[in-house]
Formats: sequence, structure tokens, C-alpha cells
Amino acid sequence: MALGPETWRLALKLVVRQPGRSALTMLGLAIGVGAFIAMVSFGEGARRSVVAQFEVLGTNLIKVQTSTPGVNPKMRPPMHLSDSDVAMLVREGTTFAHVLPVARKNAGVAYGGEQRPSFINGVAPGYFAIHAWDVAAGGIFDQSDVNERAKVCVIGKTPARELFGDRDPLGQTVTLAGVLPCRVIGVLSEKGFSTNGNDIDDIVLLPYTTYNTHLTDRIAYAYVEIEPLNKDLLDAARAEITDILHRAHGLDTGDPNDFSVSSPLEVIRAADRTARILGTLLAAIAAVSLLVGGIGIMNIQLVSVAERTEEIGVRAAIGAAPSQILAQFLIEALILTIIGTIVGVTLGIVVASVVASNMGWPRVISPSGVLLSAGFGIAVGVLFGYLPARRAALLDPIHALRRQ
Amino acid sequence: MPTPVIETVELSKTYEGAVGGVPVLSGVDLTIEYGEVVALRGPSGSGKSTLLNILGCLDRPSRGRYVLGGSDVSGLTREEQAWVRLHYIGFVFQSFHLLSHATALENVSLPLHYAGVPRSKAEQTARELLSRVGLNHRGSHFPAQLSGGERQRVAIARALMSRPPVLLADEPTGALDTRTGTEIMRLLLELHRERGTSIILVTHDPSVAEYADRQIFLRDGKVVSTPEASLGARS
Repeated sequence: MALGPETWRLALKLVVRQPGRSALTMLGLAIGVGAFIAMVSFGEGARRSVVAQFEVLGTNLIKVQTSTPGVNPKMRPPMHLSDSDVAMLVREGTTFAHVLPVARKNAGVAYGGEQRPSFINGVAPGYFAIHAWDVAAGGIFDQSDVNERAKVCVIGKTPARELFGDRDPLGQTVTLAGVLPCRVIGVLSEKGFSTNGNDIDDIVLLPYTTYNTHLTDRIAYAYVEIEPLNKDLLDAARAEITDILHRAHGLDTGDPNDFSVSSPLEVIRAADRTARILGTLLAAIAAVSLLVGGIGIMNIQLVSVAERTEEIGVRAAIGAAPSQILAQFLIEALILTIIGTIVGVTLGIVVASVVASNMGWPRVISPSGVLLSAGFGIAVGVLFGYLPARRAALLDPIHALRRQ
Repeated sequence: MPTPVIETVELSKTYEGAVGGVPVLSGVDLTIEYGEVVALRGPSGSGKSTLLNILGCLDRPSRGRYVLGGSDVSGLTREEQAWVRLHYIGFVFQSFHLLSHATALENVSLPLHYAGVPRSKAEQTARELLSRVGLNHRGSHFPAQLSGGERQRVAIARALMSRPPVLLADEPTGALDTRTGTEIMRLLLELHRERGTSIILVTHDPSVAEYADRQIFLRDGKVVSTPEASLGARS
């Protein structure tokens, strides 16, 4: 009876009667709901964007590096990862699909009198597939090039552009570190910049055997990348690596590692965790603004109850039950809340889309997130609409009608 | 003898203040029959308003019994009191108390809305009543567009919507000029005759009180027998 369509009609009329005030009342809530949707979307978009950037590195790889000396005073002088380490890993490992040594240095690359520094990497052929490097032109070197220590290289987009301009680098010979002439057999397709702003495309790749023979006095790999047979073997492979290198370096079981084992998956997990915390924080801030919006509704409804004291008294005298007066004010608050929430959802989706497209994030607006914030908004409105409605219902009609 | 529409027994009301209770009504015995028109008179502070509030189920007595239409309504909850007001009592006020943002028709329909009657049916009844009080062309007007007399007619129509057996009129002519006041009193008596509604009329004006079958005088919270006893010392 109290919640019949007539009550809704009357409440709607009241909302329309004072459009300015109604708009003001719902503004706070609309901003709250909008902010909530936008913030949840930002958080998720940023998270996915960060994770996607790290996934470029390959999620399944284990990276073995020599530890920085001096971290542990008990540690012996830094051991470098040598050919025998790699050989032992290849020979004894049972969970590895690939063992890929990488030797690298920053050195000059010269062509036709022009020279510029670049990252020169001695790698195995498997490196290309694991790092998702495609060639834009030409091809890559293979195992026979490694065995023959062939003087061939594949260059990144940046040295290709800087040294050759419009000319075709394929078949040309570049000089690496001033000593090693190499024939360019491939040009990599473009990858852009890494998360910390490095130009990933500023790279030259050649067989690691060639690198070891001509570009270094002592074989010391910067790191060795190991891919387990499958994702589930990641932890087993890490244990195996530690065990093999411990023996290779003559360490006792209790000794600390003189090398470090890490995988991008850890980095991705850490980044993911950070982004999630950030997203939760954003949502929490937005939730506060939603709460403030609810308090706005409460304040204006309290003013409305105070202003309409006579009206409430008249309705009560006529025979409106306290529950019916409560329902009337609650429905009024509910209508304001619903309109505010609809405006807020629209606002949130628009803002989230605009920001996502400007930041180059994926546009993530999950229906469950929208439903959650809409539900949250309506709950806040009803909760904060209840107090003024209750005050109206408890108003003593005698006082309300007392002649001025 | 038939049951009276209103019967009070030893009705008392005390307001609790800082310095103990302030008695406003003490031991009021009152009997009003169905179809009676009774004027309630007395100086300010005599307890008229308090008695009217209790009879209108807007307030509750501190002691004593109030029997309305054969049922004891002394100890009802606020929710139950509202139901009684809706079905048993119509109010007419000195200052009309119409909802300013609602049309005459909407104002008159209001009680049936709270009774859960569908809008079309409520508005049909309201139209009939508006026409009966002589305002058949004023339904879509807002109170501010009506004269004082017209507003009071709207209020009377609203008070009669749920066909209550009792109409409580608190100085119904107080805000009107003499001629309009007379018209309103005539209308009230006509409606009383047509519908058999009992009317309790609170008034200061002896000429208005003349319309009643019977006059009840209050002084210091008690019913007294003559106007002289009521007015004597104060007027």
C-alpha cells in the first residue's frame, strides 16, 4: 500500500519540482559512482598494460646471472658464468628445453665511415624465438653458424636506420667494436621502448661463439637464459640450476650462491601485485567520494524535511501513517539516487574510455565493476536517505501543524 | 440507547516539565452522539487544543479512556492512530493547511491515496466532492490561485473524502471574513445533514457556536456548565 505507483509518482513530481536542488543532490553521488567506475577501470587498465609490457620479456624464462660482488663479504671474488658452466647445465639438466648463453657489451657499430654505439649480443639461435624477435627482412643465423663461428649478424631497427638510412643493410658488412667485420643477414622488426625507457631496437645479435672468439678476452657470459620444458617445471628447473651451479663453482651445500636465479614471471607477479594494490587504493579513494556523495544526499534531504514540516504534519493529520511518510521520503531519495547513479555510470564510462585511449591502456570496463559501483551507489543513497526519512516519519504532527 | 460516537471517561493530560507535571486536562467526561454538532468553547489555555488533539488521535491521554466509535483508542501506536485518523476523523483547520504544490483535486484525493485507493477512483470521488462544495471548475487550480473561502471548501472536501463519522473543525472561520465564514458554516451544516457526520467545532466566536446543537465549555482543563463559568474571570 505504502509503496504503490502513486507514491512513486508523487515522489518523482517532487524531484522534478525543484530540478536545481535535485541535480545538486545527486551530483555528489554521480561523481562518486563515476569516480569509482573510472578508478577501477584505470587500475585494471594500468595493471594489464604493465603486465603486457613485462610479458614481452617472455614469462617462462629463467635468468641466471653472476651476483654483484660485495653484497656478501663471505663471498669469493665474482665468478663469471663460463663455457664450462653452460656445458654442465646442458649436460646435467633434465628439466631444460633450452640453455641460452648471452654475452653482451656496449660497443661501436660502424658502416661506411659512420660509427655509433649499440648493444652487441652474442646469442644462440634459440634467443630469437624466446624473445619473440621477428625479422623484418632477411633471416637469422642457425646452429651451423654457431659451430662455424660465422661472422654474420642480425641488426635491430635502430642501427639499421641510423647507419643505413634508406639503403638496404642486407648483405652489407658492419664492423663491430672496431675489430670484427660481420655480414648483415637480417633486420629485426620493431619493438619500441621498454618500461624503463630503453630503446629495445638498438641491438646487434651475432652467434655467441663468434662473439667469444673475437670480441672478448675471457669467456664470461652476462647471463644464461634457461627455458624449462614446460611452465609447471619452473620451480624444479630453478632448483636444478642452483644445484648444478653450486657443484660447478665448488660451493658447499650451505654456502650462499655466487649467482642469482630469477624469472620475468616473478617480476610480472611483483608488478601485478603493485598494480593491484594501486588499483585497490584508487577504488578506496573513489569509495570515499561515493560516501561523501551519500552524505550530500542526506544533508539535502534533511533540509528538505525541515522545510516541509508543515506538509508532513498535514499528511499525518489526514491519516498518512509514519511508515507511509517514511516510504515517501525514502522513495524520493531512491529516485535521486537512481538518477544520480545512471549519470555517474555514464560519466565513469566516458572518463575511463577517454583516459584509457589517451594513456594507451586497454579500455577495461567490466560489467561486474559497473554493477558493483551502481549497487554500491544505490545502497549508499538508500542508507543515507533513511535517516532524513525516519526523521520525517517521527515528526510529531501536533508540533508540525502548530500555528505560527 | 445507541452507542455514542465519542465518549471520554476521566480523560486527563499532563505534560511532564522540569518542575513536575503540568496538568492541562483533568478528568474530562464527554459524550457526543452520532450526528451531533457540538461547539467546544473556552479561553486560551483552557485545554481546548489538547482535547482536540486527543479526540483527533494526534495525541494520547495521560489517564482515562477515550472510546471512538465503540473502541478504546487511548493506547494506540502511532501507526494505528494514523489508521484511525484516516478512517474516522476529518480535520478542518483555521489556516486551511492545503499542500501548496498540489492542485485542489490532488489535495482532496490525498486521504484516499493513503487508504490505498487507485488514483482514478480517488480522483473521481474527489471531483464529486469538489462539485458538492461548489468548486467543480477549480480542480486544477493550486491553493495560491484560490480565495480563502475556496481554500476552506477544498479543505472541507478533503476532510470528508474517507467518509469519516467525525469532523473536527478548529476555528474553521477564523481566517475568513464574516460573510464567507457564514457561507462556510452553512456548507458544513448542509454536509452534516446530508452525511450524518458529527461535527466538533472549536471556536472563540459565540455567533459561530450558535450553529451547534450543544455547547461545551472548558476552563482550566475541566468541563464547566455555563459560558459564564468558563469566561467569567478572564474576559
